[in-house]
Amino acid sequence: MSEPRTRWRALGALLRPDLRRWVVLGALVAAAAALGLAGPLVVRRIIDQASHGATVSTLAWMAGLYLILAAVAQILDLGGVWAATTSAWKTTNGIRVTMARHVLGLDHEFHRTHTPGELIQRVDGDVTAVSNFLSLVVPKALGALFLVTGMVGVLAVLDWRLAIGALGYLAGLAVTLRRGRHRAVREMQDEMSALAKLYGGIEERLTASEDLRALGASQHAMSRFVDESAGAMATSVNSERAFIGLWWRIQGALSVGHVIALVTAAILVPRGTITLGTAFLLLQYVDLMERPLADMINQLEVVQKASGAMIRVVDLLERQSTIADTGTTPWPPGAPTIEFGDVSLRYAGDDEAVLEQVDLVLPAGQTVGVVGRSGSGKTTLSRLVLRLVEATTGEVRLGGVPIADLPLAELRGHVALIPQEVELFGGTVRDNVTLFAAADDADVAEALRRAGLPELATDLDRPLAAGGTGLSAGEAQLIALARVWLRNPDLIVLDEATARIDPQTEARINAAVAELCHGRTVVIIAHRLSTLSDVDRIVVVDDGRVVEHGERSALAADHDSHFARLLRVGLEVDRDTVG
Amino acid sequence: MHHPRSFWRGYLFFGGFFMTPLVSGWLLGRGFRALEHGSTGRVYAIAAGLAVAESCRMASLYIGVLGWVRSMSHMATFLRANMLEAQLVSGGALAGTPAGSAREAIPHFRDDVDDVIQLIDGALDLSYGLVFLAIGSFILARMNAPATAALVLPLLAIGVGARLLDGRIKRYRALDRAAASAVTGLVGDLMAAATTVKVNAATDAVTARLATLTEVRRHTAVRDRVLDEGVQALGRGVSNVAFGLALLVSAKALSEGRFGAPQMAVMVGYLGWLSFVPRIAGRVMARRKQAGVAIERMSWLVARNESANLVLDQDLPIEAHQDRPRRRPRRPERVSLERLDVIDLSARFPGGSGVGPVSLSLPRASFTVVTGPIGSGKTTLLRALLGIATNTSMSGEVRWNGRTLDDRAAFLVPPNAAFLPQVPQLISDTLADNIALGSVTDEVLAHALHLAELEHDIAAMGAGTSTLIGPRGLRLSGGQRQRVATARALVHLPELVVLDDLSSALDVETEVRLWDNLADAGMTVLAVSHRAVAFERADQVLHLEGGVLR
Repeated sequence: MSEPRTRWRALGALLRPDLRRWVVLGALVAAAAALGLAGPLVVRRIIDQASHGATVSTLAWMAGLYLILAAVAQILDLGGVWAATTSAWKTTNGIRVTMARHVLGLDHEFHRTHTPGELIQRVDGDVTAVSNFLSLVVPKALGALFLVTGMVGVLAVLDWRLAIGALGYLAGLAVTLRRGRHRAVREMQDEMSALAKLYGGIEERLTASEDLRALGASQHAMSRFVDESAGAMATSVNSERAFIGLWWRIQGALSVGHVIALVTAAILVPRGTITLGTAFLLLQYVDLMERPLADMINQLEVVQKASGAMIRVVDLLERQSTIADTGTTPWPPGAPTIEFGDVSLRYAGDDEAVLEQVDLVLPAGQTVGVVGRSGSGKTTLSRLVLRLVEATTGEVRLGGVPIADLPLAELRGHVALIPQEVELFGGTVRDNVTLFAAADDADVAEALRRAGLPELATDLDRPLAAGGTGLSAGEAQLIALARVWLRNPDLIVLDEATARIDPQTEARINAAVAELCHGRTVVIIAHRLSTLSDVDRIVVVDDGRVVEHGERSALAADHDSHFARLLRVGLEVDRDTVG
Repeated sequence: MHHPRSFWRGYLFFGGFFMTPLVSGWLLGRGFRALEHGSTGRVYAIAAGLAVAESCRMASLYIGVLGWVRSMSHMATFLRANMLEAQLVSGGALAGTPAGSAREAIPHFRDDVDDVIQLIDGALDLSYGLVFLAIGSFILARMNAPATAALVLPLLAIGVGARLLDGRIKRYRALDRAAASAVTGLVGDLMAAATTVKVNAATDAVTARLATLTEVRRHTAVRDRVLDEGVQALGRGVSNVAFGLALLVSAKALSEGRFGAPQMAVMVGYLGWLSFVPRIAGRVMARRKQAGVAIERMSWLVARNESANLVLDQDLPIEAHQDRPRRRPRRPERVSLERLDVIDLSARFPGGSGVGPVSLSLPRASFTVVTGPIGSGKTTLLRALLGIATNTSMSGEVRWNGRTLDDRAAFLVPPNAAFLPQVPQLISDTLADNIALGSVTDEVLAHALHLAELEHDIAAMGAGTSTLIGPRGLRLSGGQRQRVATARALVHLPELVVLDDLSSALDVETEVRLWDNLADAGMTVLAVSHRAVAFERADQVLHLEGGVLR
């Protein structure tokens, strides 16, 4: 099974950047372990000296020494906790950011099949589990290792038979624990994914809570919740069962240790091989094992969570985007032509192609309107231009360069999308326009004004919540427009961007959009034909095929064209009135 | 307290587990006494006794834990159920204040519930720890009273001392939670808006922002953890110090042979659990604070923010062997609509903005269109009418056939009324489930598909209405999502349909057919729209501006 190796390799990679920190931590832990081992040696002397008639002051002095050792060990212990927590968080903060970046780089297909709730669990929940592992478990495991090694060393000095016995005992312990652990890790993984499903479901229902409330559908949603809770409960019980198996092994080991210590003493003390003090030392050393073992049980949940989490973190980090970023051609300066060379696209798992044999050339610097019924493939066409999806066959070229030859960062730096549903972030108005990048306030304000949001241009620090609380759908749309103004791209795709905006507002921004179009290639996807009155060209899409393409004026003039027919229907029903 | 049988069974068997060490420690002492006296046979007998006692202890643990874990699962589930249900029910006594963002609400369902469960877990340990402390001290004191005092008193002192840090623990915990929420919130936003981030080339900037937030969280987490662990480490480490003190006060007894290995063995045997008592007491204290914060936060989600509504007992069938019957939808009786009157309705946000006072009347089977510029309060008006305008103070009334509705949110749901929000939210399930949100017959479903102009799309899908639509319906196009939501609103043939800009995601031809279908079905319609086709069909067009009708 290669799975543990992956985990250890992953762990190694995680720790390397902060190696020095972890070495200091190791030293602290080792010193604390050494003091822990010294204490019982003092007690052993007290017992043996007392039976040989030592004075009260000698015994009191030794008891005082024991007391000091215990106190110092205490201080070292706390230092270890501080060092471990700091190191763990430094290390895992790096992973959290790396993962977020990685997931953001994954393709549309990945995001289409994973709920945001699930991804939060991966990027936030799983990494926190790893962090807990590093801060709680790693130092304790190190401490246990030092303790066990030191213990065998001390016993070897006292009597070689004791050391051999201890080694045998520890080996037995290791084998039993290892066996129980594997099952526990498996069960824990099941439990984690059941919980991820439970929380993912809760999140989705909360997101849809207004809809569910208004439709009186609470009981249906609750039924689903109960199903998922039952799933979580079943896995919890299973993992607890595996967990007890482990507890048994550890508690059993301690009990057996006590019994062995007593029996060993019964054999060796009467012969004079070891003293009564040494017999007591054995008992104390067995008890000394209790703390690391109990820690292990207490932290086992952390270990189990982290084991599963580490595997999932590595899995996710190893998952490659189907959109390969291997291009090296720089972006051709200026507004690009857009060429579709016999492009077909079929989403994985779907029977029907979304686009079939699309052959199109859209000239540089022009504005193109794409029309077609919903589900006809318009949006997919725009996703291709942004390389959010890859053509199954055929090729998309921008400015004559095959899109795959452009580095993604280069491409995304020069194109922009204004989608129908705008996503806002928890943060200020400024954050939502700049998307947290550094920018001049004056530029941000200017972008907002141009986008038709002058009232926000003077209120950049106003907090907006995720989900757009405090803004209407139309205002959110304008924020997206402001984002584009600030970025100044060469190619812009508007995907039903004004669909949710009332005619007044639309009229207000149409001029702004016209100005935005100047000197850029623009693709406007729309079903409201009024949006397309100023475009240069029209593409009509139906059932994944381009059925018509030409200059708007020519198509409008041709009585038999699809577009002219749409215009006739459209003018009849789509005469948007203002006031 | 739920599932009392498994709870008390678990509790009882945990008792066996906690108390056996009293016997084991005592046996260890007898063993060392026998060693001192050189009676080897006795030592063997005692070792055997020890083995038996410990075996019983393990058996009781097994039974105890399994009962306990079931009981805790039930408890966690009904806490979550109460929060979720309060968030989802429409109107009625148990409806809670809607959470602002689902992503930020998730920690209430996960971490806060965990905090409460951990407290209960700790309370169980503490109750037995205290019994152990009493009996253990008594046995030890009979052997050597001063040494026992030197052993037990420091342990108790630490337990009391740790409480002094409680205020700080609570404060650090709250700060850490806030920092954690900020990180989770941003991660959630990013995961939901991956495309936005990508097409705006914002990956570097947003990850830099994430890095800043995670650093803040590191500081809060280190403080929280060091204090928490520090309190625990203190409790643990003090056992060695206490043992040292006991040795110190016993120096004279040691030299006189009145105190020695047998007494020490009992002490060592008991010390583990004895030192556990202040540790667990400290932990319970800390968790009590954390759980207090947690309960307060969870209460935000339930009705009137009262914690009593958080802990309502619910018997949820989550055991593997239990049947899980579908819940019956909790819907009002259908009251045929003759006339709907809105009288001086207004809804104001805390800042003073909002809508109203607005008065209007909708006769049966009429078609009313509301229009107006962006931000004029169209959506707020619809939501106020339906009684779901959250975060506003509402006044005025709505009358159904002349009768004033006391709880609009409860009454204005299917089959009386249905609402289609501007951005409908779907859930990752089958198409049929998204539309029915419960069980309906095939005929009813087919009729809804027909009304919402979905038949053509469904026929093109391989699995028909069993098609899985992906998270938030992302496998469908925007227009399909809108029409699925429309079908969902119409499936129960509501008396009144309230539509917030239905046309925004639909092409012209589809929309025309949709208006026709609604008219044919004879429903009373109130819709926000800007389209001529809507105005032409409307019986009345209401123009809203600055929150009032013009």
